[in-house]
Parts: sequence; structure tokens; C-alpha cells
Amino acid sequence: MSDPARLHARDLVIRRGATPIVEEIRSGEIVGLAGLDGHGQERFLETLAGLQKPLAGAVSLERNGTETRITDFRKAVAAHVAYLPRDRRATGIFPTQSVLDNFAISTVSEDARFGFISAGQRARRYEVYRDRLSIAAPRPDAAITTLSGGNQQKVLLARALALKPGVLLLNDPTRGVDVATRHVLYDVFRDLARDGMALVVLSSEIEEILLLCHRVLVFRDHDIVANLQGPAMTTDAVIAAMFGRAA
Amino acid sequence: MTKAFLQTLQGLRRDTGFALVLLVILLVVNLILNPARFQPSAWGSLIGLAAPLIGAAVASAPVILGGRGGIDISVGPLMGFVNAIVIQLLFLKAGISSPFGIIPAALLIGAAIGAINGALTTLVRIQPIVATLGTYLVLTGVTLTILPAPIGPAPGWLKALAGPWSALPLIALFAAWWTIRRLPYYDQLMAIGSDDRAAYTAGVDVTRVRFIAYVITGVFAAVAGLMLTALIGSADPNIGQAYTLISIAAVALGGVSLAGGRGGLVGASIGAIDIFLLQSVLTAFNVSTYVLQIAYGAILVAAVILTAVQERAARSREV
Amino acid sequence: MSVVETGRTGEARSSLALRIRSGLAGTNGRILMAFLIAGVLHLVGTLAISGYSSPFAIRALLVIAALLAVASIGQTLVVILGGIDLSIPFIIGFANVVAAQLYGDKWNFALVCLFVIVVAMLIGALNGYISRRLDIHPLIVTLGIGMIVQGAVLLWTKGFPSGSAPPYVSAFVSIGGSAGPLPFPWVVPALAVLATLIVLVLARTPYGRRLYALGSNPGAATLALIDPVRMWMLTFSLSAMFAAVTGILLLGFTGSAYGDVGQPYLFQTIAAVVVGGAALVGGRGSYLGTIAGVLVLTEINTLLIGLGFQPAAVQASLGAVIILLVSIYGRERHVSMTI
Repeated sequence: MSDPARLHARDLVIRRGATPIVEEIRSGEIVGLAGLDGHGQERFLETLAGLQKPLAGAVSLERNGTETRITDFRKAVAAHVAYLPRDRRATGIFPTQSVLDNFAISTVSEDARFGFISAGQRARRYEVYRDRLSIAAPRPDAAITTLSGGNQQKVLLARALALKPGVLLLNDPTRGVDVATRHVLYDVFRDLARDGMALVVLSSEIEEILLLCHRVLVFRDHDIVANLQGPAMTTDAVIAAMFGRAA
Repeated sequence: MTKAFLQTLQGLRRDTGFALVLLVILLVVNLILNPARFQPSAWGSLIGLAAPLIGAAVASAPVILGGRGGIDISVGPLMGFVNAIVIQLLFLKAGISSPFGIIPAALLIGAAIGAINGALTTLVRIQPIVATLGTYLVLTGVTLTILPAPIGPAPGWLKALAGPWSALPLIALFAAWWTIRRLPYYDQLMAIGSDDRAAYTAGVDVTRVRFIAYVITGVFAAVAGLMLTALIGSADPNIGQAYTLISIAAVALGGVSLAGGRGGLVGASIGAIDIFLLQSVLTAFNVSTYVLQIAYGAILVAAVILTAVQERAARSREV
Repeated sequence: MSVVETGRTGEARSSLALRIRSGLAGTNGRILMAFLIAGVLHLVGTLAISGYSSPFAIRALLVIAALLAVASIGQTLVVILGGIDLSIPFIIGFANVVAAQLYGDKWNFALVCLFVIVVAMLIGALNGYISRRLDIHPLIVTLGIGMIVQGAVLLWTKGFPSGSAPPYVSAFVSIGGSAGPLPFPWVVPALAVLATLIVLVLARTPYGRRLYALGSNPGAATLALIDPVRMWMLTFSLSAMFAAVTGILLLGFTGSAYGDVGQPYLFQTIAAVVVGGAALVGGRGSYLGTIAGVLVLTEINTLLIGLGFQPAAVQASLGAVIILLVSIYGRERHVSMTI
């Protein structure tokens, strides 16, 4: 997308008594987060996005040799870190609003000319992502709730990508999405990584992580208990780490 | 024993926010300023004076507890409507003076209006505030049509309900609510108040439970209307509306969440008593009604802010 | 729900009947229907009452409607946001009395307006801040703040406000006035311009789109870079601003200051917004709809008074009509449809 960016977690403590996390997410890689529900992977992801305050340590984004500390969500977005939430209905879509509105809301000022939104400009911006993500919305001015779950998710992804992020944090991005759309999304994620974006994918499905990610961080009790990549990344190894057994 | 009592008190304080603290303070101030008014011998008329507001607040609470924007702004006009019907139609025109004629008739009117509100909000599914705004206007208009000007008097027994027997209707209200609280219905009401989707999925008939809440509100409002009639000892077409907003304020003051599912009728009545005592203090200071109004508003805003801040603090401690 | 229906039928089949039905249920359908009802009411009035469509009657109707329309701007914005503003009548009264008093004290009237509007906006911002920041229902907050404002005004004027508006304000809203060659006072064309502006702001500015989004799903707003507290403060201060403008216009309309002049607007603004098709749950509504609602309310009022109804009966019928209209096109979803 743009200049390569690196996201640093420096001695990050997300739960009292947990081991400080030192982690670096580099441009072009897709990092998976795995773990049993509530074992810290979601909190870690939200801390990276600036949505949660760490108990100690810091998150920062390195770009062109300068480093920006991420202390809240707006700083994260300003540093080109985008976040796709997990619960589409509760924290994602605006149900009474159109597909276009839902796409453009985070970047709504970009289409404004002298304070008023240019419909043409907004439609052109949308079309870029519609083609790239193959969003099937016959009428972009219809309410987003007329779309299938998968297409709603694509619109939300388009909303996040419109922020032109260097780092994309995805919280269970294929939850409630049909198989065909999943594979479209996987291809999109891989393309984005190839173009130099850094992606972090939290998923509740190990197969998905193995299929998509270059490496996986496994969480247990708010600690990273395994950092697997290459041939070491197997279902058995991930499950063993999740449950704290020897593989 | 003492510990259990203290815990109950602590629980009540948590549920009612600052209303209970305010109640104690106001009571002490009142006792100092105006001991004569709070003599045991004056309790009858004192309670009678406070009763309509307490009744209105208690009546407003059930639909609010039911959540999803549940509110009944027609409570005040319904009180006025009952007042007009009881005196003008039943007592003066039809010559019915027996409590056994008047009380059932009043309760029936309350239940009927409550059922109309309930049907409009749960079956026709109109926004509660809009539906009850409609009944607010209809009731106000009809009341003025059947009773263009104040008229009296009221039957003697009814006036006694604002004097020596003033506690009776309040006791009846609380006994009714005490009974409801022991029914499975109460749990269902609180469940739909906090999360109607979850309650619906769990098999609760959300429509029926909300409908009944409006009927309860209507019946309670009719009782409040009788208390109002007892207090003024006559019929006045313009007196009911004033109770609507102040009773909702009392409910909020008493720690009942307007989002539903939290609070209770004890809290609502404590809120109402607060407002009554506040009025009493300020009257003792001989301040103008303007200052009284500022004080109402300020206490209301301050109390809901303090309650919200306290809740926030409690929540952040839990995390 | 309605919007969904429109979409589905658009995709599925183009049966005319279905289209009409879903169109009527849709947002635009509701507005259209409210305008139609206003038209029908006017027709009924013209047929039933002689002089109902006389130039003077129409002027009066337009001016009264224009005043309600200005007062309802704020309620529309606040309702789209998912709130409600009960402080409007109190702010109207505040602006009405304070403007008259200060003008009577020989203040420059432009300065008077500026002062009144700025104070009103600060009060509005406080309403929005307390409601959103502390998550307290705006019904309670605006009621409490409104009571304080009214009490303070009464205290200041000792209950007997005095003063009046400069003649050009009276001419601006006078039923007998004229806007150049046009047969009605300037308030009517001014409202038309203002309404166009409001519709444009809602449809085509970042503020408007954020307003709908925030009302539609507050839980998703922060992640979409919408600052809820800021939006609530801004919107409630706009609501107070238009209430203050209404108060000043009413001063010109009635000629003298009166603290309770705003009271009828408490429920009328809500009714206009609702009859215009907005849901009080947020994310839906439009100012065009509110204008339609204002016309419906004004027509009903005028018609019933013209038919010789007593004020009490007018009020009762108004209540019944609101219920009737909203039950036709303002129904909510059943809880089972929200899962």
C-alpha cells in the first residue's frame, strides 16, 4: 500500500501477572492469533488497535525510521493501523444506512468539497473496493441490511481499507461468512500482504489460521505460549499450545 | 441480624442512588425547620399531601421497568380523567357516593386506559412515548370537555383518604406491588426490561408481559387519581397534566433506569418523597415558586449525575 | 424494516402493487404520505369551511406552520441521533423573555440575538454532554436543565417579563406582512431556504452522515471515528439554537414577552417529527418529513377550530389523529424480528 510499517509491542502486559509481550509484526506478513476464548488474544489485538490500555508497556508503529506510540484508537488510525471488529451487528454496521454510507463513514471527510460530500467522488472510491473485494450489492444506495453477511463483512473491510492502513488488525474476520466469500477474503488478505501490509488475524478456527497465516501466536492465560511458523505450524502443535500440553 | 439489616439498607442505597441519602437529609432539615408540620398528629394530612405524587411515580414505574423505551406520559392526564369522572359523572350526575361503586369504577377506567396504551404499544407497536402522548392529548381534551371548570365537592369518605386514612390507598398500592413481586410475572418483566431479545428467546411472551405492565400502570394511576381527588376534595380539569413530568423525574431520581430492567417502586416512591420534602423545605424558607423550580431541576440533574458517576465507579472497580 | 423491504422488492420482483406498498412503507413513502394527508386535510377544509383557502387563512397557516417548523429542526436532529429534547419549550421561553428584557434595556438587538443564541447553545451543549458522557437518558437531563432555565428566567423577571421586539422582527413574522411582491411575510421564504439547507446538511455533509450513523448504531460509532460526546454536544446545541430563534420570532409574532410561550411546542415538535416518519430509536428521520408533519398538525388544528370544535376537543382529536397516523406507518418491529 505505502511505506512498509512495523508494529511493535514493547513489554506489553495485558493482564496483571502476565509475562510482558515483546512482539514485532512486520510489513508483508500475516500473523495469526489463536487461543481458547478469553485467553488474551482478543485483548492483545484490541490493545494493538488502541482500544484497550495495557497495564504496562507500549504499542508503537515504526515507519520510515520514526516511531509513533499508539495510546488510543484515534492515534492508531492516524498511524495507519486499521481494525475490523468481531461483532458485525453490535459494533460494525449501521443498519439503517446505505451500503455507500457504511463504506464511507470512517473516511467521510475525504469526499467533502467545501463542506459538502461529492456523490461522484464517494461512488468512485467505493467502486475501487467493490471491484477489489467483489462486493455483490446491486444497489449501493440500499440499506446494508439487504446484503448477505459475507457482503456486509466485505463492506466493513472496504471501510477499514479506505483508511489506507499499513497494518490491518482483523478480529475473527470470517465469522458468520459463507465458504465462497471466505476464500475471496483469504485471497484479498494475501494480496494485501504481498503489497506490503502487515496483517494480524484473530481466528477461532485453527484451519483458517494454518491456511492463511505465515506464523501464529498461541495464547494461554494471557501469555504467548507459542510462536509457530513454517513446518512447525500444525494443528496438533497449535492445539497442544492452547491446552498447555507437549506436542 | 444487624448485619443483615445493614446489608438490606446498603442494597437499597445502591438501588436508589442518592435518593435515600437525600431523603434522610431532607427529612432532618424539615424536622428542624418545621417541627409542627411533622408532628405525629399531622401525619395523616401530611401523607395525604404527598400521596398523589407518590402514586403517580409508583404508577409510572412498571412500564419503565419493562424497557425498550417503555414510558407512560399519560399517567398525569389519567389521574385528572379519573378525578373528573369520579366527581362529575359518578358522584354529582349519577349520585353514586358509595366507595364500593366509585373505587371499582375508577380502577376499571385505569385498567381500560392502561389496556389501550398497552395495545397501542405492544400490538400496534407504536413507540411508547408517541402512543401515550396521543392518549395524553385525548385524555386531557376529554377531561376538559366533560368538566369545563372545577367543581365540588367530593364524598366525605374520599376526603378522609387525604386526612386520617391517607395511608390506606398507599398501603393498598404497595400491597398490590408486593404481591406482584412474588409472582413469576415480576421476574419476566425485569428480564424483558434488561434484555427483551434474550427473554424472548428464553420463551417469555414479551408482548403479553409489556401489555400487562401498561394495565398495572393504568390501575395504579387510577389509584393516584383517587388520592388526588381526596386531596383536592373536588374535581379540577387542569390539575392532572402537571403530574406527568414530575413523576417521571421522581422515578429517575429514585434510581429507576429509563432503559428498563433496573430499579423498583420503592425507589420511585423515595424519589417522589424527595421532591415532596424538597418542596416542603423551600416553602418553609418562604422562597418563591421560581426558586422551587430551579431547585427541582438542579436536584434532579445532580442526583442522576451522582448516581451515574457512582455506577461508573462501581463498574470500574469490578473490572 | 421498511428500507429492507424496499431493497428486497427492488431485487426480487417489480410487481407494481408490491412496489407501491413497500414504497409507502419506505422513508420516502412516509414523507409522501404525510404530505398527501396534509393536502387532503386542506381540501376537506376548503370544501367544508368557507374562507378556509382565503389568502388570509393560508397566510396564517403558513406563518404558524413556519414557526413550528423552526422549533422542530432541533427535535428532528436530536431524534435522528436517538435522543429527545424536552428543553425546547423552556429555551423558547428563555429566549423570548430575555430578548425582550434586554432589548427593553436598550441593548442593540443584533447583540441581544447573539447573546441569547450563544447562551442557549451553551445550555444545549450541556444537555448533550451530560446525556452522552454519563449515559443518562436525555429525557431526564433536558427536563431538569429546562426546569432550571425556566426557573432562572422567572426569578430574573420576577414573573413579569416586559419588553418587546423591534418592529422589523414583528414584520418578519406578521401574518399580514409581505416579502417584497410575495403575499406572505419573510419568515416563509426564509424557512424554505433554511429547510433546503437543513436537508442538504443532513444528506450531504460529514456531520449529517455521522448523525445518522451514530443514531443507527451507537456501538459502532467510535470504531467508525465518530466522537459520540462531541456529536451530542453539537446536536443539542443546534437544537437549543433553533429553539432560541423560535423564541425570538415568537416575540415578534405575539408582540410581548411571555415565559410559557414555548409550552405548546413541547409535544408539538415531537409529534411533528413522528408524524413525519422518524422513529424515536434513532438513525431514521428527515427534515422534509418533519415539515410534512408540521403541515399535517397545523392543518388538523386549523380545520378542527374552523369546524367549531372547542380547544379541548381539538386537543383530543389531535391525540387521536397522531395515534392513527403513526399506527398506519410508524410501527416498530416485533421483538422476534430484532433477533
